[in-house]
Amino acid sequence: MRNEIDIKNKIKANSSLFTNFVKNAVNASPKVQNNFLDVSAQVALTVQKILEDADLITNLEYKGKDFWSENKCKTACFIDGGVDKTSIISSAPLSIRTGSYIVKPDAADKNREFFEESMVFLGDLYDPKNELYDFAEDDFDEDQMLNKKKDGARIIFEAVTIVKHILLNRKFDYCFLHGPIEATVMPFTVMGFPTFTKFAVENMLPFYNKNKLNAEARHFINVYLEALNSIKKSKFPTYGIVETSNSAPYIKNLLYSYKSKGTISEKDFKNTLSTIKKYKITDSHLLEIILQSGQAIKPLEVKKQIKGFSVTSGSAWEDKMDSFPSVHIGYIKVNDHSAPIRIESLNQSKNLIKDYEYILATARLLPNYGFPVGLNVVDKFAKIPNWMSKASRKYYATHLLKQAIRSKDQNTISLAVKILSKKVRSWRNRPLGGLAR
Amino acid sequence: MNTKKWKSIGTVLGETNISEFYFSLKNYKAKKGDIITTESKIPSSEGNVVPVTVWGKISSIESSNAFFPTEAAQELTNENIDIRDTILPTTRDELICKVIILGFTLKDNLKLMPLNYPVRPAATVSYPSSEDVEALLISDLDSEHPLFIGSLLARDAVKIKIDADNLVSRHVSIFGMSGSGKTVMVRRIMDELLQKKYPMVVLDIHGDYLGFIQKQKKLYPNNQVKLFYPNLSVSSDDKEIIYTLIDKLGNSLTDPQKDFLSSLLEKVKYEGGSLLKYIELLVRKAREYASDSSKSFKNIRPASMYVVVRSLGQVAKKLKNMEQTNFRHRQKMSKLKFEELPDAATEPEKIVNKGQLSILYLKGYENLPASAIVSILLENLFKHRQEVEEEIPPFLTIIEEAHNFIPSRSEDKDNLPSVDTIRKVITEGRKFGTGVMIISQRPSRLDETIASQCNSQIVFRMVNQKDQRATTRDSETLSVDDSKQLPNLANGQGIISGQVVNFSLPVQIKFDAELINDDIGNENFITAVENWDDKESVKQRKKFAKDFSNITSIDKRRAN
Repeated sequence: MRNEIDIKNKIKANSSLFTNFVKNAVNASPKVQNNFLDVSAQVALTVQKILEDADLITNLEYKGKDFWSENKCKTACFIDGGVDKTSIISSAPLSIRTGSYIVKPDAADKNREFFEESMVFLGDLYDPKNELYDFAEDDFDEDQMLNKKKDGARIIFEAVTIVKHILLNRKFDYCFLHGPIEATVMPFTVMGFPTFTKFAVENMLPFYNKNKLNAEARHFINVYLEALNSIKKSKFPTYGIVETSNSAPYIKNLLYSYKSKGTISEKDFKNTLSTIKKYKITDSHLLEIILQSGQAIKPLEVKKQIKGFSVTSGSAWEDKMDSFPSVHIGYIKVNDHSAPIRIESLNQSKNLIKDYEYILATARLLPNYGFPVGLNVVDKFAKIPNWMSKASRKYYATHLLKQAIRSKDQNTISLAVKILSKKVRSWRNRPLGGLAR
Repeated sequence: MNTKKWKSIGTVLGETNISEFYFSLKNYKAKKGDIITTESKIPSSEGNVVPVTVWGKISSIESSNAFFPTEAAQELTNENIDIRDTILPTTRDELICKVIILGFTLKDNLKLMPLNYPVRPAATVSYPSSEDVEALLISDLDSEHPLFIGSLLARDAVKIKIDADNLVSRHVSIFGMSGSGKTVMVRRIMDELLQKKYPMVVLDIHGDYLGFIQKQKKLYPNNQVKLFYPNLSVSSDDKEIIYTLIDKLGNSLTDPQKDFLSSLLEKVKYEGGSLLKYIELLVRKAREYASDSSKSFKNIRPASMYVVVRSLGQVAKKLKNMEQTNFRHRQKMSKLKFEELPDAATEPEKIVNKGQLSILYLKGYENLPASAIVSILLENLFKHRQEVEEEIPPFLTIIEEAHNFIPSRSEDKDNLPSVDTIRKVITEGRKFGTGVMIISQRPSRLDETIASQCNSQIVFRMVNQKDQRATTRDSETLSVDDSKQLPNLANGQGIISGQVVNFSLPVQIKFDAELINDDIGNENFITAVENWDDKESVKQRKKFAKDFSNITSIDKRRAN
C-alpha cells in the first residue's frame, strides 16, 4: 500500500488537480489553500483504503496487437450529438443532429464502417409551427429557457438514437454514447418548460403511448424516462462515457454505502462530504491519484435523480424522480497523464472486465488523449461545422433584411440594419483607455 | 462526342471562378494531370444562355481523413497493430482536386474557347473518353503539321502531338536534369522533322545524336545525315572573334600589347580559311615587326611584341590540342564517316539542305573555341537566310548543353561570341526561318533574354530550386502547380507548354530505342571495370615499373 507521501507527490504531479488548485488559490481563503494538499491527500488515502477494502479496484489487461486481432469481429456503435451554436436576435434557430459511427473491423470494405446521421432537426424555436417543442410564452429569462430547450433536445435526441438502433434490431456487441447514459433531469422540471410536439414524440418514440399523447406524456421528463426504460431493455451492452467528472457521485455513494453498513459513523460521513464540497474534490481528481494506468474501479449503483433536491422540491415532477433507473458508475484510468474516464450503464454488466477492457483498448488508440477513439470519430462527424453555422447566420440575416425592405417602411429597414449591425457586448470589444494601443 | 458515355467522377465544390475550381473526387477515379469536364452554362452575346462543356486539367489532388487522429497512428506503430483490426475508420478519405480550367467547347465544335463565366458549384465532374480527349487536343491544336511525341502522362491512350510550325519558328527550350529525358525528346522531334525533310543543324558536344548517322540507311533512306568535325575557318570579317579568342586563350596582355595585337589583325590581311594557319601567319608577321620595330610600330617596344608572339604561340598550341582531342574521339568511332565542316560563308548548302541533318561533333573543344565555331557558323548561315537570294532553306538549330554557348550574365562569360549571335538569330529567327532549340540541364545559368525568347518549353525532372525558378520565370505558360510537379517526374516524363500546344500538358515521351548511339554505350562503368584488361603497353610499363622504382630508391640512398 502506498503511503501518504506518495499520494502528495502524485497530487503535485497531477495536471488537472493543479488547475483546481490554482482555482482554489484564487478563490478560497488562505487557510483553505494551506490545507488543500493535506486534505486532498488524506481524503485520497481514506478512499483508497475503502476501495481496497471493498475490492473495487481491478487491473485491466491490454495487449494492443493481440487484443485487436481477437476483437476485430465485434461490432461497435458510437453515438454523439451536435448542436449548431447560431445565435441571432429575433430568432432562435436550432440545428441539431446525432451521428452514429458503426464499425465492424473485419468486415469487407463496403460493410466495414458506416457513418449514419441518425436524428436531425432544423427549425426555429420561436416559430409557433416548429416541429420540436410546443410553443409557449416563456416566463423565465429567455436565454436561460432557450439554452434549456437546446440541451433538452440534444439529450433526448442522443437517447432516442440508441432506442432507434434497438428498434431496428441492430446486432451490436457494444454501443457507446458520448456523455452520461442518464442526464440529470432536474433543469427540465422547471415550471413552463415546453412539451414536445405530438409530431416530434411520434417520430422519436413511435411505440410510446400511442393512444394518449397528452401534454403531460409529451413533457421531457416522461419522454426521456420512456427512452431510458427502452435503453435499459437493450440486448447489447450500452455505455455512456464521460471525459471528466465535475462531481463526486462515486465517492459520495461509496461513503454512503459504508455509512449504511455502519462502518462509517454518521458524523464522519457528514464531515467528509462537507470537506469534499468545500474543496471541490471530484471523482476524477481523487481517482486520478489513486488509480494507476490500466486500472479500473468496478461500478457502483447510483441514483442520479434525487428526490428533494432544492429546485425539484415542490415541483410537480418530484415524485417522478424515483421512477428513473439507477445508473452503474465506474471509472477507467487509461494512461498516466489524463484523468480517468467515467463509464455509465443502466444495467449491471454481465462481462464487466471484458467490456472495460474493450473501452480501455478503444481509448488507448488515442494514447495521449485517453478517450475512446470511436467517440472522438463520431464527435467530429456529428459536430455542426462553423461553415454551416456561418451560412445559416448569413441566411437569417439576409431574410430579415429582405423582409424589412419589402415593408418599404424606412423605420423598419433601419431597425433591421441596426439589429444586424449590432455588436455583441464582449470583453474583447471593451474600449481601450489611456495609453493602451 | 458522346458525353453520355463519360463516367461521373466527382462534384464541383463551393466557390468557383473562371480560371479554376475544386471538386470532390471519387476514390481512384482520376489522377493528377488528367483532363476532366463539367457541364455548365454561359451567357451568349445575344442574351441567351448556352450549355457548354468546360474542360479542365487536374493540377493537384489532396487526400485527408479528418476522422483519423494523428496520435492513433503513434499507437498503431508502437504496438504494431494493423489498423484494419481496430475500430479506426479507414474508408473516409476525402479527395479534393484542384482543376485549372482550359476553356469551354460548344456542342459539336471542339475548338476550346476561354471561359468567361464561372462553372456551376455542385455540378457533376466527368471523365471523358480517351478518344474524345485526343480529339479535343488535335482539334484545338489546329496544326497543319502535327508532330507525334508521346502520350498524356495520366492516360496512355491519349496520343499527344505538338505543332511543328511553331516549334521551328518560335523557338523551344528543353530543360531537365541529367538523365531526365531531354535527349529522348530531342531525338523524337528530330525523327519527326526528318520525316518532313526539315533541315536541322545539331551542335552535339557528347555525341548523343550519332545514332542518326548509324541508322540513316535503315530509318531515313530519303534523308541526308552528315557528321561534321569543326574546322575553325575564319575570314577577315571575323576579326572580333579572332581577337577575343587570342585574348582569352593566350597569356594575359597589357594595354600596349593588346594595342599591338589589334593593329596586327588590321595589318595582316587574310583571304579566309583555317584559323590555325592565320595564327601562324600572325606569329611570323609579329616576329618580323618585332625585329624591325622602329618602322611599323613606333610606340610599341619589341619586348611587348614578343610577348604577343608567345601568346599567339600559346593559342595555336591550345587549338591544336583541342583539334587532336576531337580527332581521337572521332577515331574511337571509326565506323562513322566524319567530314570537315564546310565553310558556312561560301558553301552553306553543304550544311543546310532540304531533308539534311547536319551534326557538328564538338567533343574535345573548350567553351571559348566551341563558342567561336558556333558563332561563325550561325552568323554565316543566318546571313544567307537574310539575303534576298535565300541560298539555303529555313532550318532549325539544336543547341545541346546550351549553357556553354549562351551563359547567363551572372556567369561572367557574356563575352562568349556565341551569345550575341544566338541572341540575334533567336530574336529575328521568326522572320527568317532560323528557329532555335536550346537544351540545358541548368536553365538558371542561361542568358535570360535568349531563354525568354523561347515561346515553348518542354521541362523534365528538375530538383534544383534555382533552375525551377528560372524555368517558370522564362515561361509564360508554365504554372506554379506545374513547376511543383517537376521534382517528381520520372524519366521521359515532361511538361510541355507554350505555343506548340494550347495548354500545358504532362507527357510521357515516346522512347526511340533505335536512335541510341551504339558506340557510346550506356555508361555501364561497373561492367566495363569487371571486363577490364590492361592494354599491352600498360602491361609492359607495369612489368618494368618495379625495376625502375628500385633504381630510384637505391639512388636516393647513395645521395644520403
